[in-house]
Amino acid sequence: MAAPGPGEYFSVGSHVSCLTCLGQRLQGEVVAFDYPSKMLTLKCPSSSGKPNLSDVILINLAYVSEVDIINDRTETPPPLASLNISKLANRARTEKEDKLSQAYAISAGVSIEGQQLFQTIHKTIKDCKWQEKNIIVMDDVVISPPYQVENCKGKEGSALSHIRKIVEKHFRDVESQKTMQRSQAQQTQKDSSLSS
Amino acid sequence: MSMKPQAGGNRKPGGSNSGAAAASGTGGAGGGVGRQNMGRGRNNAKGPSTAVAFNGVYANMRMVHVLTSVVGTKCELKVKNGLIYEGVFKTYGPECDIVLDAAHRKSVEPNAGPRREDIVESIIFKSSDVVVVHFKDVDLNYAKKVSSDTDNFTDSAVSARVNGEHKEKDLEPWDGGEQHISGSMESLDTDLSNGWDPDEMFKYNEETYGVKSTYDSSLSSYTVPLERDNSEEFLKREARASQLAEEIEASATYKARVALENDDRSEEEKYTAVVRGERELHSLNRENKYIPPSQRNREAGMSWGAGRQVSPRMVQCSPGPPTPRSGPHDYNTIDQRVVNGGAQPWPSRCPSPSSRPPSRYQSGPTNSLPPRAATPTRPPSRPPSRPSRPLSHPSAHGTSGPLSNMPKRLSSEGPPRMSPKSQRTPRPHRVASCRGGGPPPSDYMSQGASVEVSAPPPTRNSPSGGTWSSVVSGAHRPRSPRQNSIGGEAPSSSCLSSPQAGTVPVDSVTASTTATSPTAANPATNLEASPIEEAKESRVLETRQNSPNANKENVKPIEASPGIARSIGKGSPSMASDHRKQIDNLKKFSAAFRLQPSSSSDPGFEAMGTKPPRDLGEKPKDQAAEKGSVDSTGLKASTESSISEETSSPVSVTSAGSKAGTPSLSPSSAVPEQKRGPDVTSQGVQTTSPLANAVTKDKDEKEDKNDPVAESVRKSTLNPNAKEFNPRVFCSPPKPATTPTLTRPQGQPSPSIVVQQPPTVYGQTMFQMYPLTPVSPGVQKSIIWKPPAMYHVQVPHMTMSQTKSYRSGKVQNMPQQRPDQHHPPGTSTMMHSATAAGPPIVAPSPAYSTQYFTCSPQQFASQPLVQQMPHYQSQAQHVFSPVIQGSARMITPPTHAQPSLVSSSTTQYGEQTHTMYVSQTPIPQQFPHPSSTLHPHPQHPQPSATPTGQPQQGTQHGGSHPAPSPVQHQQHQAAAAAAAQAIHLGNPQQQQMYSALAATPPSMTPGPNPQSPQASFPSAQQAVYIHPQHGYNPNHMAHVQQAHMQSGMVPPHHGNPSHPPTMMLMATQAPAGPQPALPQGTLNPIPVSSGTHFYSTLTPVQAHHQQQL
Repeated sequence: MAAPGPGEYFSVGSHVSCLTCLGQRLQGEVVAFDYPSKMLTLKCPSSSGKPNLSDVILINLAYVSEVDIINDRTETPPPLASLNISKLANRARTEKEDKLSQAYAISAGVSIEGQQLFQTIHKTIKDCKWQEKNIIVMDDVVISPPYQVENCKGKEGSALSHIRKIVEKHFRDVESQKTMQRSQAQQTQKDSSLSS
Repeated sequence: MSMKPQAGGNRKPGGSNSGAAAASGTGGAGGGVGRQNMGRGRNNAKGPSTAVAFNGVYANMRMVHVLTSVVGTKCELKVKNGLIYEGVFKTYGPECDIVLDAAHRKSVEPNAGPRREDIVESIIFKSSDVVVVHFKDVDLNYAKKVSSDTDNFTDSAVSARVNGEHKEKDLEPWDGGEQHISGSMESLDTDLSNGWDPDEMFKYNEETYGVKSTYDSSLSSYTVPLERDNSEEFLKREARASQLAEEIEASATYKARVALENDDRSEEEKYTAVVRGERELHSLNRENKYIPPSQRNREAGMSWGAGRQVSPRMVQCSPGPPTPRSGPHDYNTIDQRVVNGGAQPWPSRCPSPSSRPPSRYQSGPTNSLPPRAATPTRPPSRPPSRPSRPLSHPSAHGTSGPLSNMPKRLSSEGPPRMSPKSQRTPRPHRVASCRGGGPPPSDYMSQGASVEVSAPPPTRNSPSGGTWSSVVSGAHRPRSPRQNSIGGEAPSSSCLSSPQAGTVPVDSVTASTTATSPTAANPATNLEASPIEEAKESRVLETRQNSPNANKENVKPIEASPGIARSIGKGSPSMASDHRKQIDNLKKFSAAFRLQPSSSSDPGFEAMGTKPPRDLGEKPKDQAAEKGSVDSTGLKASTESSISEETSSPVSVTSAGSKAGTPSLSPSSAVPEQKRGPDVTSQGVQTTSPLANAVTKDKDEKEDKNDPVAESVRKSTLNPNAKEFNPRVFCSPPKPATTPTLTRPQGQPSPSIVVQQPPTVYGQTMFQMYPLTPVSPGVQKSIIWKPPAMYHVQVPHMTMSQTKSYRSGKVQNMPQQRPDQHHPPGTSTMMHSATAAGPPIVAPSPAYSTQYFTCSPQQFASQPLVQQMPHYQSQAQHVFSPVIQGSARMITPPTHAQPSLVSSSTTQYGEQTHTMYVSQTPIPQQFPHPSSTLHPHPQHPQPSATPTGQPQQGTQHGGSHPAPSPVQHQQHQAAAAAAAQAIHLGNPQQQQMYSALAATPPSMTPGPNPQSPQASFPSAQQAVYIHPQHGYNPNHMAHVQQAHMQSGMVPPHHGNPSHPPTMMLMATQAPAGPQPALPQGTLNPIPVSSGTHFYSTLTPVQAHHQQQL
């Protein structure tokens, strides 16, 4: 259990690449390595290309081969900052609730378009929820399938107009994102809907 | 593949907790075994839940940190069989089990969202099933952001929100542009008009905008003009109104408010400007070195009475008690003055010691040469004393006797420097001796031992000691001990300071070194300074006597300091004449001392004090002339004491005996004187201590106390001497020279008024310090307190040493002083020895300085605490210091030979000392000195340089060392005694050196006491010379110093098989157990009793020292 200690296999900060038993090539900067559990944590650039974010990969070296240390780093790793545990806990809870909420909607038979729209709206306005297949935004606006701009109903006002803008933009973006998986699926449905 | 869906896993909490715990323990690098262990340990401590937390992965801080920072993010988890589960990362277990909330198996369908029924609230994946967990688009800084609830608005929180993308904006200086600058900008500064004149505005607006103002200056729209008439009613009202107006305008409140309104000072000046006071200036002026606020405070404390700080200084200053307290300021002033007079070394030392060890060291380095010179000066003084001692000691001392004396001396010396106690003790010794009344030497011995030791010292010491002890317990002790140890003053400082600051020893040593260095730098100055100090002491005594108010006295001393400086300057020029005068004075003093001994301690002291002053009159003239008869008397007393010491010291010390037949009587006194003298000379501290003692004594009894004070002073000086002695001792070969030099320093002062003058100056500084102490009793007390602790320790030692020393020929001398100060002396001696030892280690001169400093602190402390008693002590010390000086003077004549070696004049002495020290390494010089002076001889044994003295010294040392070793103080005392006997008699300085070398080690004390001044020199030398000393020391001193230098006390022990070794042993023993040391010394019996006390107090200190070391 002598941790990484002297014979530390991976020094924090070094870059490592490896091949998992599932044939996935992983590469990144060693953030942590636990010898006893053979767990290696890598940090690599965000798969979505966002500069502020990064992907963290926890690898079980028991199922990894071809471990190569691309370059080693002797520098002492930076000190660890204290973490706000409560903040992390809140994030975990909200994430879980969101997912459950989404799953609930999905299970309700909401179309993918609707789900995507919901996600888009949810990014901007947290106060939105599923009511059967209808999306309720701020308790004022109800978006019913097929979730088009004209489907937004509610008291006329800034809220409704704002929601409509969001919905309009959402579909416009979806149109332009045909390359994306989701967008592709949407497109098909969208096309179909349009054609229909 | 085993997925264990669970509802809200129990582990979650634990996980979070563990995570939190882990998070809390940030810092750690990758979890290592140690960490794991740590974690486990924590777990155990915390309990099962936490225990789990720290097992396995939880022990890996980085893993914990990373995994915890991604909690709450969505992740894809691949298991062995290739299935992918997606969920919210909830937590993880110690075995790296992964817990996903709202997890579902990722369906083949790309975009299909999980159905409600597909989602499992929580799944626990065993780490063995997990292949890869991919957290996408994670913001690793998310959790680092401070929660808005806690510190959302701290700088770190605000900056953290920038999300790491933010870079500090480059601040650009604003440039108004030339145009603006030339125009509006300057106008703002130069335009004194308060904005626009209304008429100008109206005019401008009218011309520019065509706006016509309706403004009416009569404000007729708002009020009605007063209608004046000549009716009585109106006149009455008008008179009434004017009266009220006058009353209002005459009121302080109105004036204050008006002043506020019309105050020309800017708000910055009034409220925010940082104005550097003279104090700071002083500190700044000292050596242009940065002085931490604390030190400044200390310095200021000296004047202001900044308790602990001061005390630390005191401790540091302990070497030169007087200087320490007043030290900072006084030294500064003195330094400056001295500098003017060529005494810069001292000043620097003094300041540095007072200020801090580092500073001292710094000063030391800068003054390295000067310190040496100073040390030389001290050495000269020592040598004289040594000779005297040897004479007396050889006969009486034997091993124990001398040792006891030496210790006492050392203690006395140490005390002055180290702690007031020491100073006090010295005085008490004298008093006791005086009380003893008998023949000066023998009386001192016996009286001091019996009477003084028993009664006066205990009371004073014990009282002060109690407080001191308490103080000592404080940080002060540590420092002082360190100083001692460092300084090599170990004996004196260790005794005094060591107790005070177990840890401090180094500091003390440093201080001592610095002090010594200053001395070294000011060798001439030292010599002069020592005289000055003496003069100061005398003045102080006088002032004290004359002006009960220590403050006033202090002030006077300060004023006098210039005079002292002058005297110094004068003295230096007329060193020879001064020396002669000093010698004469010393003789007179010796006579006076004798008288004092005959008379009860108090009476005797008084007689001594009074007589000495008279006798010293001439010497004082130089120094005291400025201040007054009192000072002169003090000087005289000191000189007398020194003389007596010389005479007695010879007798008691015998080692020095060869030096002077006169010493026969003076041996004891001489020893004390030497010690004192060295202290004084070495660093104003001694003088200061004497002064402080004098002050305290003044409170108690000016006259009687004066003598005691003188004795105490001497003792204090002894302490310095002890230090010096130690250094010398270390430089066994050098020792002879050093001792001579030490004696010379003392002697120089004495011989040449110049030397004394420096002391006087120091004394003045000391006085200043004293005043300061009076001003801020608390602070001073605190300072003093530490010293008191020393004193306490010393007291026992004193008693021990006194009895021993007194009993023994040299001891008697010491006893005389000690009697007055009994415990204080003992402590002082111890302190001195310690200080001396300390200084020796570092460098002889430094030791002196340190000793002085230490002594001065002690003195200060003693003064504040036991102002009365302190006064006596201080006076006694002063007297002693003078005496010492006198002895020094006495020595100086002998030393002259030494001087001849180095130089003839006191300044020469300083130089000589320097040379000596320098030469110490060069053993030869020392030898010459030793040969010239008795002191060297005693020390010679170690050095081999002093042939005659060596045997005696060896014996004495051996005896003394043993005694000292038991208790540091005792050791110091014993060592001091032994050293005093051997070294002191032969080479007080050397002893001091030893003490200094031993710094913390009591063993050092012996040397230091006698040589306290010298010791101080040694200390200084130690710092600078250490190496040289080593060369010299090959004998005792060198070893001790080296040892001290190396490991504080222990090495010295090893190093010095002979005296130094003994010293070292003493020191070591002291830490280990006072008793051993006692046994070693013939004094042991006595030491034991007193030793126990000392040990109790000292031991802690010593322990501290050792620890520190």
